[in-house]
Amino acid sequence: MTTNVTSTGNNARTRPNPGLPVIGRLVAPALLVVTVLFGGGLLLGFLQGLGYLPAAGMKVFTLQHFANVLADPDFFRSLGLTLYISVTSTAAAALISIFMALVLTSLAQRHRVVHFIFQIPLTVPHLVIAVAVVFMFAPTGLFSRAALKLGLINSSASFPLLTNDSWGIGIVCTYVWKEVPFITLMILSVLRRTGVELLEVGKTLKAGRRQRFFYITLPTIFPSLGAACLIVFAYTFGAFEVPFLLGQTYPMTLPVWAYKNYSDVDLLARPEGIAIGLIIAAVVTTAVVASQLLTKAARRRGLVL
Amino acid sequence: MNSNRRPSLASWRLSILLVVAVFLALNIASRVNALTWPEILERARGQTVDWFMWGGFPSTNAYVNGYVASRVQDLYGVKLRQVPVKDIAEVVSKLLVEKQAGKNTGGAVDLMWINGENFRTCKKNTLLYGPFADILPNQKLVDGARPSVKNDFGEPVQGLESPWGSAQVVMIYDSARVPEPPRTVGDLLDWIRNHPGRFAYPAPPDFTGSVFVRHVFYYASGDAQSWQQNFDESRFNRAAAKTYKILKDLSPYLWRQGRTYPENPIRLAHLLADGEVDFAISYHPAEASKMISDGLYPDTVRTFVFKGGTISNTHFVAIPFNAAHKEGAMVVANFLISPQAQLKKADSRVWGDFPAIDIRRLDESWQKKFAALPRGIATLPGSELQSHQLPEPPSQILIRLEKGWDQHVLKGR
Amino acid sequence: MAAAGVGIAVLLPFVSLVMWSLSSRWFYPQLWPRQWGLRAWQYVFSTAGPQILAALGQSVLVAATTAAISVAIGIPAGRALGLYDFRGKDLVSVVLILPVIVPPLCVTMGLHLWFIIMGLAGSFFGVVLVHLTFCLPYAVFVMWGIFSNYNPSYEEQARSLGASAWKVLVRVILPLTFPGIMVAGLFSFLLSWSQYLSTLIIGGGKVTTLPILLFALMGSGDRPVAAAVSIVFVAPALLALLFSARYLGGKGIAGIR
Repeated sequence: MTTNVTSTGNNARTRPNPGLPVIGRLVAPALLVVTVLFGGGLLLGFLQGLGYLPAAGMKVFTLQHFANVLADPDFFRSLGLTLYISVTSTAAAALISIFMALVLTSLAQRHRVVHFIFQIPLTVPHLVIAVAVVFMFAPTGLFSRAALKLGLINSSASFPLLTNDSWGIGIVCTYVWKEVPFITLMILSVLRRTGVELLEVGKTLKAGRRQRFFYITLPTIFPSLGAACLIVFAYTFGAFEVPFLLGQTYPMTLPVWAYKNYSDVDLLARPEGIAIGLIIAAVVTTAVVASQLLTKAARRRGLVL
Repeated sequence: MNSNRRPSLASWRLSILLVVAVFLALNIASRVNALTWPEILERARGQTVDWFMWGGFPSTNAYVNGYVASRVQDLYGVKLRQVPVKDIAEVVSKLLVEKQAGKNTGGAVDLMWINGENFRTCKKNTLLYGPFADILPNQKLVDGARPSVKNDFGEPVQGLESPWGSAQVVMIYDSARVPEPPRTVGDLLDWIRNHPGRFAYPAPPDFTGSVFVRHVFYYASGDAQSWQQNFDESRFNRAAAKTYKILKDLSPYLWRQGRTYPENPIRLAHLLADGEVDFAISYHPAEASKMISDGLYPDTVRTFVFKGGTISNTHFVAIPFNAAHKEGAMVVANFLISPQAQLKKADSRVWGDFPAIDIRRLDESWQKKFAALPRGIATLPGSELQSHQLPEPPSQILIRLEKGWDQHVLKGR
Repeated sequence: MAAAGVGIAVLLPFVSLVMWSLSSRWFYPQLWPRQWGLRAWQYVFSTAGPQILAALGQSVLVAATTAAISVAIGIPAGRALGLYDFRGKDLVSVVLILPVIVPPLCVTMGLHLWFIIMGLAGSFFGVVLVHLTFCLPYAVFVMWGIFSNYNPSYEEQARSLGASAWKVLVRVILPLTFPGIMVAGLFSFLLSWSQYLSTLIIGGGKVTTLPILLFALMGSGDRPVAAAVSIVFVAPALLALLFSARYLGGKGIAGIR
């Protein structure tokens, strides 16, 4: 998770250390909030997932709830679906972002309006874009109406199912629309700082377009691209709203399943909902740690910057 | 003396018992019923009542936020705030957690719109305050003997909730597309098989999707009334299996081959409006007319009920055990069954929900006002609706059907 | 070409929202509403006006409070991480980044029961606390980036000229890091602004922010009304973006999420 933050963090090395008490006072409030609320929340969730609910008279630790979830035939279907959606969304958004970053650097500062419009999705809540996606992609949405007008289809039934579909196309489109500007801007900030000069050097060394892209641009942007992708992956893996609104009735993604159990009037389903939530957290954390280790190993071999 | 002693001792004991009994009775009564109505009105003044309810229906929202809120403010000084939720079961589950956590006072929910399985869950877990319904002065306008008012989905109401309105399932269709709709459940099933992709129902546990499954269940078991009485396990299993079989075999003929379902009745209404399917299902007989006047349905949309009848029920309001403003909530609940509030609600230009009160108990001028209400273009006459009513089955049947649908029809196990 | 593509891809969803919100009769397969009308906007501004206005206010208040606390706590932490090397820095940064990765869902479900017991559930402060868990890390990381490029020698100069600690903060540190503070604040604001599930679970419906209202209306409500409420929901964030774009000299919130 070393973002562009650490890549510019040389400042730290030049400063004398003012001593742990001073630093402690500076970071303590943030650490306190995160450990108490976030760490505490996870811990309390874990206790409840283990069936420990003293307020309800449940004082025995058990792995039963986790076992129930893992043994459910739906679990691996849901896990697969969730992974598929988040990996596809992240990959598609990353590819488009690389392209957009290159386009935007070549546009330079001339098109301020384009830059502004490009940032709009950052401010739009997922909920709103999900509504708009239904209006556009649904079998009777704007696109279907246009296709009918153009004579491409003869009724709404022949328009492909793009929302609440088994391939999660509506969900992926929503995420791509929302995350492309984020990833692009992460890449751009690096590209603008160092990439342009390096590319000039590459040009004078007579490197071809392809070469310049693969040997200069890609390695330059890789750390921030990777970090952005991890954030997007983690977000899309654990998000509830979009798959709830645009997903199929069955199977559902893990977060939707988790909340469905959590809000069930059957109180025994609640620890299972929490267990699913913790499994989501575990999957995401594992993915992030693994990718960090892989990057480190690759870096040691000099494969990436 | 001696001869007198025994009986006197016995009567003394008896009187102690009596005193204890009276004390206990008073004690119970004082918890619930110690206040007179004027005292309740007095305490309610200045309270803010948070009413949690399903918020998916703009006409209901408009009625509550616009009309009811301003009236109870003017009349009783009670500030009413609607808290829209997407499913009232979430609120029930929240109350359960609060009960678990020992939060017995100062709860956030003062009033909730509820019926059926959610009421049963609340009652089973003693999540409700009351009985309070009989304290409400306007309760005299309600016919408490009516089966759907006395029992909510087979669960005795016992004053733990107060009726608000009544609902009956109607089928909605576009007469321009289907001039002669099928009038029985069996004919409808045939129609669906003959017109692949033109029918859909919301996925249970959505209320409306669930009631469609119950109609098929009544059709499969050949009868609706007998399920009201004692429950026969093996007979239920046979009828339920038949129901799932019918619905599972039906799914290839549904909209999108039954691979996905509309999530609620309004999504289904969109499908009808967009011409993707030819029928919609609604618990509200006047909803189609309202949607025509809002421009959401074409003018040619009409409604019908099955010849064998459609399911009708009553919807209620209830007060949670830990509500912070119980008096205010009772004042609101009482206003909801006042003649003026029920009249406004029944107006199809406002909402068009059927009255919970018995119109015949009103004086003549009010009766005339109800009679003079304009019936929407697509709304069936009251007499036709009333003569085609089926009861809801007890809620344990409903819950088992919903679970069974999930397993056998949706997941195909 | 590319500019036009970006424009269409970004703006088309808004066009569909605006069209739906202004439609009165619009049936398939008409490409254009048969009849325009203001029914949805009437609903938003008059019938449900007070409710939507209250939700708007609640949303702004929650998001602004969350953003303010995030920034206030994020500045010192960012300063420590950006300016100095210290023992345990890696650990601190990992702890602070975890909430960015782990979805809010699990933490919120864990906190819920205890928030009820402590009386924080259903309260404004409880919702702010839960939002803070996810918003603070972003503020820390933005400020970390800002302090990495910050030259503290100005502070020393000011101090040598006799400025008090308070004066140094107000006259030197805050002005120098102001663009970063704006970005961190905007960022936390937007994140809190669009939270749904954590608000629902902890707020219990009582803290009715716009997403809660929209969700209740939308899965079900009629399309023109849902479209109109959606537009109300985007407008303040768009204004914030416009404002920041002007303020930060056209760069907007570039570079940081």
